[in-house]
Amino acid sequence: MAEFLQYSITGVTVGMIYALIGLSFALIWKSSGVANLALGGLVLIFSWIFYAMLVQVGLPLWLSLIVVLILALAFGWLIERFCLRPLIAQPILSLITVTLGLEFFLEGLAVFIWPEMVAGLPPLFPIEPLKIGPAVVSQAYVWAAVISLILFGILTLYFRYHKMGIAMRATADDQLAVQACGIPVTSIFSTSWMLACVVSAIAGILISSISGLTHGLVETGLKAFSVVILGGLDSFIGCIVAGPIIGLAENLGSGWLTPIVGWGGLKDVIPFIIIIVVLFIKPYGLFGEVRIERI
Amino acid sequence: MKSRKLLTLAGVIFLALALAVMPLMAACGPAPEEPTTPTTPTTPAVKGPLKYGMSICMTGVAAEKGSPMGHGKLDAIKYINEELGGINGHPIEAIWYDNSYDAAKAATIVKKMMSDGALFFTTNSSKMMMASQEIANRAGFPGIASFSSPICTNPPQHIYAQMPDYGDDFAAFANYYLANIWKGEGKPKLALHLLNNPTGSGSGDAALCLADELGIEIVATEEHTATTISEMESMTRIKAANPDVLFIGSTPAPSAVVIKNAYELGLYPGVVIGCAHASFTKAMVAIAGADIVEGVYGVFPTCSWGEDVPGMAKMTEYCKAYHPKDYGNMDYITSWAEALVGAEILRLAVENCGYDKLAAGDAAAWECVEKNGIQKLDYDVEGLHGPVKYTAGDNRLDKSVRVFQVVSGEITAVSGWIDAPRIPYENFPDKFPWAVK
Amino acid sequence: MGLPCGTYNYSYAKDMAILRTKTHWALFIALLILVFTAPLYCDNYLLGVANLMGITLIAAVGLNILLGYCGQLSIGHAGFIAVGAYTAAVLTGTFELPFLVGLICAGLMAGLVGLFFGIPSLKVKGFYLGIATIAAQFIIIWFINHLSITGGFTGIAVPYASIGGFVFDTEASQFYLIMTIAVLCVFFAKNLARTRIGRAFVAIRDNDLAAEVMGINLFYYKLLAFFIGCFLAGIAGSLLAHWIGFMNAEQFSISESILYIGMVIIGGMGSALGPILGVIFIRLLQQGMMFIAPMLESAFPALPAGFASGIAPMLFGVVIVLFLVLEPRGLSHRWMLFKASYRLWPFSY
Repeated sequence: MAEFLQYSITGVTVGMIYALIGLSFALIWKSSGVANLALGGLVLIFSWIFYAMLVQVGLPLWLSLIVVLILALAFGWLIERFCLRPLIAQPILSLITVTLGLEFFLEGLAVFIWPEMVAGLPPLFPIEPLKIGPAVVSQAYVWAAVISLILFGILTLYFRYHKMGIAMRATADDQLAVQACGIPVTSIFSTSWMLACVVSAIAGILISSISGLTHGLVETGLKAFSVVILGGLDSFIGCIVAGPIIGLAENLGSGWLTPIVGWGGLKDVIPFIIIIVVLFIKPYGLFGEVRIERI
Repeated sequence: MKSRKLLTLAGVIFLALALAVMPLMAACGPAPEEPTTPTTPTTPAVKGPLKYGMSICMTGVAAEKGSPMGHGKLDAIKYINEELGGINGHPIEAIWYDNSYDAAKAATIVKKMMSDGALFFTTNSSKMMMASQEIANRAGFPGIASFSSPICTNPPQHIYAQMPDYGDDFAAFANYYLANIWKGEGKPKLALHLLNNPTGSGSGDAALCLADELGIEIVATEEHTATTISEMESMTRIKAANPDVLFIGSTPAPSAVVIKNAYELGLYPGVVIGCAHASFTKAMVAIAGADIVEGVYGVFPTCSWGEDVPGMAKMTEYCKAYHPKDYGNMDYITSWAEALVGAEILRLAVENCGYDKLAAGDAAAWECVEKNGIQKLDYDVEGLHGPVKYTAGDNRLDKSVRVFQVVSGEITAVSGWIDAPRIPYENFPDKFPWAVK
Repeated sequence: MGLPCGTYNYSYAKDMAILRTKTHWALFIALLILVFTAPLYCDNYLLGVANLMGITLIAAVGLNILLGYCGQLSIGHAGFIAVGAYTAAVLTGTFELPFLVGLICAGLMAGLVGLFFGIPSLKVKGFYLGIATIAAQFIIIWFINHLSITGGFTGIAVPYASIGGFVFDTEASQFYLIMTIAVLCVFFAKNLARTRIGRAFVAIRDNDLAAEVMGINLFYYKLLAFFIGCFLAGIAGSLLAHWIGFMNAEQFSISESILYIGMVIIGGMGSALGPILGVIFIRLLQQGMMFIAPMLESAFPALPAGFASGIAPMLFGVVIVLFLVLEPRGLSHRWMLFKASYRLWPFSY
């Protein structure tokens, strides 16, 4: 029982971190239908900027956070303006490949500016773990989970009530109709990239406060988004539900199966088996929008 | 269309700037303080060059290690050529390429080095050596891996290991643990937490191979990825197995996560934690937090910065002059030492076979370098790591490591050089089919 | 359009011919001669690069059939290559079967695994399918790492390829082997696209509902595309295993898979020429990057520490971005435009 509780709590909190990265991915997909392969690079670069502000420049925590968020907005604008906008109306796969080029560029940029390539952030949260019954959970994970819930709430409200948010949903639905209504589609895209950069910056900071700043952040980003697809590419609620589901599955599944099958590392494969099964049953993810196709 | 033109312009400007800025950066970068007056008047090296092949992970996923390592050996070669006048007057010519930690590139690089006429080649990492080793073994082209996996040197062919491999880390730590830390009765219970690649499995294989011989009981073996963000569930299982000692064979970031989770679960302090050398660096202490990793043991095969050994002064001088950012990086030492070993190999080869034979850079030259250079090594590496000496049937050149411990946030040596005996993998052909050919 | 002025087709055979005029034939034969005499004037390194390109090309042709013709996104191609590579390694290394048996089995094995992971394609489309194939990649690599027959994490050594008594132990002989297979694969792909199967693929790519209504069996053709695409990946994997000589699962990373997609898109999807140009472009760019760091470090010894390590991936990224912005339809499209303008020169209309 104690183990069950431990696995569940770990699973849910870790899953929320995945969900955070997934949110950033869904933001762009939702408005423009572009799969952002540069997500890992963005997570990496913003973590390093935060490190630079906090440790190298020595700014206080709140100020470095603000600087990172402002830079994230700027990055998002620049990326959209100079990499994606020239390709509007081109085949969608070309747009996706552009983000691949961007990924290489960002990785190189990170090495270029921070050649040490590996560093640790000072602990942002108290290191003493929280005790929940017989289980323990680190405060860093709890805070990460809380922050991603808050972000999820803000984004949902934004998309439901804010004018821009509503316009973004409309763009995702039908670009042509939106243009006919006089909504500037380009500024919608650039807003969605800016928001996505902010979310990935926050995700990057939280992850690197747990497992340090390494090149591995790129792969964490890549893995997390494929995991969160389970919820549906265009759904926030999907991300926020799928994250913990995957987290629970990998922790509970590997916690119980490992002693039985005797193979290590089950945690790293269970999420992917689930993805294949779920996609087979629900091809658009758990909460994804089912498209009705016409010939 | 207009925006496309704008973008093209921006791109072209970037490329032009990148090219234009290079000399500028060179000028404004850390001023290359020329190393203080050479101590000995040197004879300018005017004779033909000796070609030293290097496949370096300068970019890509492993650049965190590859880049300081590249700097270390290139600086060392600069030192040898400028201050020592090369090898008996022959300058060393470093033929090096960036493999980006990409196996296919590594395979083309080893071919490039063979056709460039390099006399032998080195790689930083075991993965790059594994991608190159079959090509080199088939051609008889000797190679040395700085960090290596048991499979690089077992069964012994033309590939050598500069230092003990990941398996030897475990053997050395286990010996130290049994002799100095273990006070209980019966067999100590060991848990392993291994990275899911040859770095981790190297330690795991050694543990499997040696457990009975040493009298250790393996109670849990877990594995993790390099990008893990939580190992709570595997640590929960390890905790349930109630081990006395936990050995982590991994790299800095995941090791830090494992130790942090052990701390949160109340497993540490309590068990003894030992780390293999790939993870036991300042970065691990920084990521996990100095308070948490206090008292963790680890093995490392080289000396530390600032230690009083003969080679330290020159290395520090060159590092501070050319790559000040790498000062304090342990990989720089490894690699500087590698270049010293390489120079010694070339010296032996030149003295034993003569330059003309080596200048050809063909199979005969390679054989000469291997037989009269590498296999005749007996060199103290100026104290930078254990002495290198070839013994028949064991392709590891340096066979000793030291045990370190994190003491008030600093990695401090707690033992002298411990010999890591060769692990007889070939005695277990069913478990390790690669060790017998 | 694709023919020089004054060339008219009077028979179906002529209409269907790939090489229509004498100039075509002459250029084609000249190109083949140029390719197959390369060992005479290239050193081992250049041949090595050519071999790598040949192997990559076979896999990219497979991906092009899957993605370019049939429109099924696969982001797990490196995983299928790994299946082929390991099958060949185990069969020829551990069981000492002949190279050709290993080669065919590698293709079949990869094809079967591809079939299995292609099943979701019946219901899943677009990027969702991409994610399913990413999952395939992770699952495949995980199994390779945990089976004992594949050597686990440690990896497995692979002997030289040999046919009959002849061992392909020099770079030049491997070049002939790899290039022959690569040329055959390109020829196969080019012709496949002109058969009923190829046309069915294109119909599925353009609109699978319409294709189904027209009587194309989606189940059969989608899975066939996966089988052929992965079969070629398996063949490439087998050659890669014999060429490198040592397999480790880390060589087949997810970024490698993504790079394959990049190659096909940059080259131009859905054409026979596309993968060739894409593979040459990306592999040459990568080889170029290999020299950049050494050149910079030796030319400017006082560069800041991260300069050489950072500039190569940055340039790689910028070149890809620039390329797509300038030529979003791929290199083969540009090549078509070039051919057309060359034919019409000096009158541009």
